[in-house]
Amino acid sequence: MIRLRGVVKRFREAGRDRPVLDGLDLEVPPGEMVAVVGPSGSGKSTLLYLVGGLDADFEGEARVAGHDLRALSERERAAFRNREVGFVFQAFNLLPQLTALENACLPGWFEGGGARPRSALLDAGREALARVGLGDRAGDRPGQLSGGQRQRVAIARALFAGPRLLLADEPTGNLDTATGEGIIQLFAELARGGMTVLVVTHEERVSQAAARVLRLEGGRLR
Amino acid sequence: MRRGALLRLAVLNLRADRRGALLNGVAVSAGAAALCFFLSLGLGTGAAVRQMFPGEARLVEVVPGAVSLGPVLGGGTLDDAAVRRLRELPGVTAAWPRMSLRVPVAATRGPEGLALNYPPGFTLQIPVVGVDPGLVAGDLPPGASFADPGDGGPIPVVISSRLLEAYNRTIAPAWNVRRLPPGPALVGLQLPVRIGYSIVPLKTEDRVYDARLRLAGLSDRVPTFMLAMPLDTVRRLHREYGKPDLGYTGVSLLAARPDDVPAVAAAVRRMGYAVDESDRSVAERAGAVVAVATAALALLALLMIAVAALAIAQSLFASVRARAREIAVLQAVGATRADVRSLVLAEAALLGLGGGLAGAALARGASAGLDRVALRLLPDFPFRPPSFFLFPAWLWAAGAGVAALAAVLGALAPAAAASRVDPARTIA
Repeated sequence: MIRLRGVVKRFREAGRDRPVLDGLDLEVPPGEMVAVVGPSGSGKSTLLYLVGGLDADFEGEARVAGHDLRALSERERAAFRNREVGFVFQAFNLLPQLTALENACLPGWFEGGGARPRSALLDAGREALARVGLGDRAGDRPGQLSGGQRQRVAIARALFAGPRLLLADEPTGNLDTATGEGIIQLFAELARGGMTVLVVTHEERVSQAAARVLRLEGGRLR
Repeated sequence: MRRGALLRLAVLNLRADRRGALLNGVAVSAGAAALCFFLSLGLGTGAAVRQMFPGEARLVEVVPGAVSLGPVLGGGTLDDAAVRRLRELPGVTAAWPRMSLRVPVAATRGPEGLALNYPPGFTLQIPVVGVDPGLVAGDLPPGASFADPGDGGPIPVVISSRLLEAYNRTIAPAWNVRRLPPGPALVGLQLPVRIGYSIVPLKTEDRVYDARLRLAGLSDRVPTFMLAMPLDTVRRLHREYGKPDLGYTGVSLLAARPDDVPAVAAAVRRMGYAVDESDRSVAERAGAVVAVATAALALLALLMIAVAALAIAQSLFASVRARAREIAVLQAVGATRADVRSLVLAEAALLGLGGGLAGAALARGASAGLDRVALRLLPDFPFRPPSFFLFPAWLWAAGAGVAALAAVLGALAPAAAASRVDPARTIA
């Protein structure tokens, strides 16, 4: 599902290039849940966004879900993010002006050719919300939901398009222990269902639920 | 991006920043209101000017030259031969001669069958011109006759609708006599007159007899302050009173197209005749003044809209900066740069459209209010229009369209900035 070879990502700081990922290799088969740990600033999030096609400015080879990420055009990369990847962020990143259902349906608004009718989108959104246990909160806005509920809406949004890859960046960082535990169990369940899950975390309990834990140090995974 | 979703998101984004949207909307609507108001005023006053000076764009009025070199070298009297030559000029489709009546005609009573409180003992001297029936044929009611009736019959006459307007708004109130009903209701009315009688001493002819004039219709092709009767009637009266043939007093030429008028006028001048452009030049000058004033005011309003568009641009720049994370999230779920650009432009277009429509409504209300004030304060002068404003449907569309276009143009730079948001860095 994920195959990275010799990936180098540099950031320009104070007029000098600083490599964050320095010849990184990674291989993740379909249906595996992998946790990436490492100190702050080690490049964990950078790795995640690179795999998710949010950042195309890197060197090396990156194939994800059968796509050569460096060969994709801007439009193709957007379609890749829309269909193949679901993102879950630490800060939830829901749109406050939209309801939970609209937030869950957000990827559907950007579907390309042969787009589904609106009713089908809403049905898919309700189904995604029901899958994370929030079927009865579809009309609520993020401000009316608890932190755990917001993260569940964010997961529903990530699952909406039926992606093959779920990328989570510190998904339990803003949640209490019990709620975070529920989210981890959900990820494990999704992985068991065949979805590839790549989680960036610094929490041990998340690492324990993963099939493999990789440590990012000096720009490489160990 | 789905169009419905784009609009929904744009509306929600505007709603999220109600205060900013309201301020920008007010700025746009002020500009659009000014634009619609001034255009509406220009259209209204333009229409009033056209009613006041209904100069026909294809007519060329030929009169004898001030200096005549004789028929061989050019100029001279306007006789039948001259009319023939004028008719054959390139670009001329018709030539209608006219001749002033040199026999005095006076009315000592009001029109028959009309309850008009005509001042007792008052004699009205009537200036008369004879015109070719072809000149007014298009303005007469179907079946109306405009031919010389011979001795005894009522003489058909045509008056200008402007004469009726001037009478009703100026003469009738000044003389304290009743106003006349609208033009079509007057057709068929008969006025007893005395042919050969003049109020000017020594101008009364040896023979004076009673006759009747019958109104055949109204036409703006006849002089405003004269009665027009058939040219043959004028010729007959001249014969009856032994008046020598002095030729025609003028010839109206009808050009094939308005564009032909300058060439026809030049050809007429080359023939040694003059072109009477007094009516046309007054109409053109008045129209030009209205057009220039309207254009200047509309330009001012467009500047106001441009300033409003800059305010929108400024506001959207701030909004894009504040919403960078949201934009990055949209990109994370599949939005392209074009989608992001479209979203910002849609927000601007909605602001412009809403502000433009509100501005047009404001202008409509202001114009209606000013019309009411004008109706109360201004005197009832001739050709005073019922409204100084014209508000056709396209003006609403123009107000909203121009405002939306300006807002979208102003939003181009913020939209480009939004599309350049780096999602990875912004979310991280």
